[in-house]
Amino acid sequence: MSRKGVGLAAFDRSRLTSAQYASHGSTLRSSNAQALETQLAVFRSLLQQFAQTHAKDIRSNPTFRAQFARMCAAIGVDPLASSGSNHQSNSGGGGVGSIWAQLLGRSVNDFYFELAVRVVEVCGETRGENGGLIELRKVRERIMRGRMEGASEITEDDILRAVGTLKPLGSAYSIIKVGSKPYIRSVPKELNTDQSAVLEAAQVLGYVSVSMLMVNLSWMRPRAQTALEDLVGEGMLWVDKQSQEWEYWSPGFMLEYQDSAAGMTG
Amino acid sequence: FPPEYSFPPFFTRQTNLTTHHAQLIKWSSLVLAYCRHHRLVKLSLSGNPTTTTSNSTTDKKEQDSPHPRDTTELFHNRRLNRQLSLPDIREVISFLRGQGRAEYIDSSSSSTSGGGGGGEEDEAGGGGGDMVWIYWRTPEEWAGLVEGWVEGTGQKGSVLTVYELLEGDGTRGAEFHGLDQELLRKALNVLVKRGKAQIFGQEDSLGVKFF
Repeated sequence: MSRKGVGLAAFDRSRLTSAQYASHGSTLRSSNAQALETQLAVFRSLLQQFAQTHAKDIRSNPTFRAQFARMCAAIGVDPLASSGSNHQSNSGGGGVGSIWAQLLGRSVNDFYFELAVRVVEVCGETRGENGGLIELRKVRERIMRGRMEGASEITEDDILRAVGTLKPLGSAYSIIKVGSKPYIRSVPKELNTDQSAVLEAAQVLGYVSVSMLMVNLSWMRPRAQTALEDLVGEGMLWVDKQSQEWEYWSPGFMLEYQDSAAGMTG
Repeated sequence: FPPEYSFPPFFTRQTNLTTHHAQLIKWSSLVLAYCRHHRLVKLSLSGNPTTTTSNSTTDKKEQDSPHPRDTTELFHNRRLNRQLSLPDIREVISFLRGQGRAEYIDSSSSSTSGGGGGGEEDEAGGGGGDMVWIYWRTPEEWAGLVEGWVEGTGQKGSVLTVYELLEGDGTRGAEFHGLDQELLRKALNVLVKRGKAQIFGQEDSLGVKFF
């Protein structure tokens, strides 16, 4: 480049220089981007290896699975997001996220999808006897019992996540708490506070009676009767009329005896 | 006994329709399983002792001699002091009849065909007696076993007495060995209808020919 005069030339030079800088900068950027590109390619292949080796572990090891889920949450990735989500246009995080979900999401997805199907089956099988409300623990036990091959262990955490995947389907499946215990609700019916209180009280002995409610919750008779009749109407309580005072039992207690039954199994 | 047997409300007819239906299903499964386990083909609804059909492969007591069994425990859980009332028991039987798994014995208007379920008599008072057939295997299913044995042992074309079928050494390993004679007759009648067998002779010494 030929040197011009100080005035205009300087201006020109600075413009030239900034152009130089600009071009240099873009060269830098492109070389950086190149490096980044390479880094990503390396990371991608490592991720692929990881996916291949550890996908099995995700299925078989509940601790690993929980840790993996926590890690994904920490870096802002949803492992259960369906693959092929290219709507994230920002580089770096979004790009890695969708790759991660693509490579690992599928096997993790399958696992939780199959589990959700099992949950739906169990709820359907038991709806007649429990009105669509079943303790989370019971669901886990039934699912574990159904897995004959001595297959991987399912935790309550897994079931909670599986139920979570059902939400976008607009279904009635949700987790509710009765007292301190989590239940899966598979019917749209929502419990009011009185009904929840009755179910919670029934957890103690397995059953409640009108007088028990009146004494322990300080309710008037009609209030207790209404709540109980509501729950029986929903199929969530069974009634025993052969006791001194009618007893209303939680169907969850039917399965309870199975754990400690000493008699022969039918 | 399955867990519901220890659940007190199980013995009370539930008021909620859906719950009641679930209850009927559980009761009918229990009745079938109980009778299958104890090799009972007839049941007294009031719990009168019923003879079991002995089968040398499963019976631990004296072989080939049926002995009566007290079946009150089925509908009466003594430990819980809960029992299913007779009308409720009849409801369970009615449900089983609908499945073709039960039939009243000696009632004036009972159907005699093997698989026919309820329908003509729905109320408890109608076809109700005390004794019922409990078909944890229907006559058709027994017929299938007999037919299978006949083919498996190459007995087609041969003639056997009913006694031989029930008590003979040749059938010792078969499921139907030691079966209630009346029930075997029903099964054989099924085969007759299908043209697979023919029954002849006098009541005391009936013979069967298989085709």
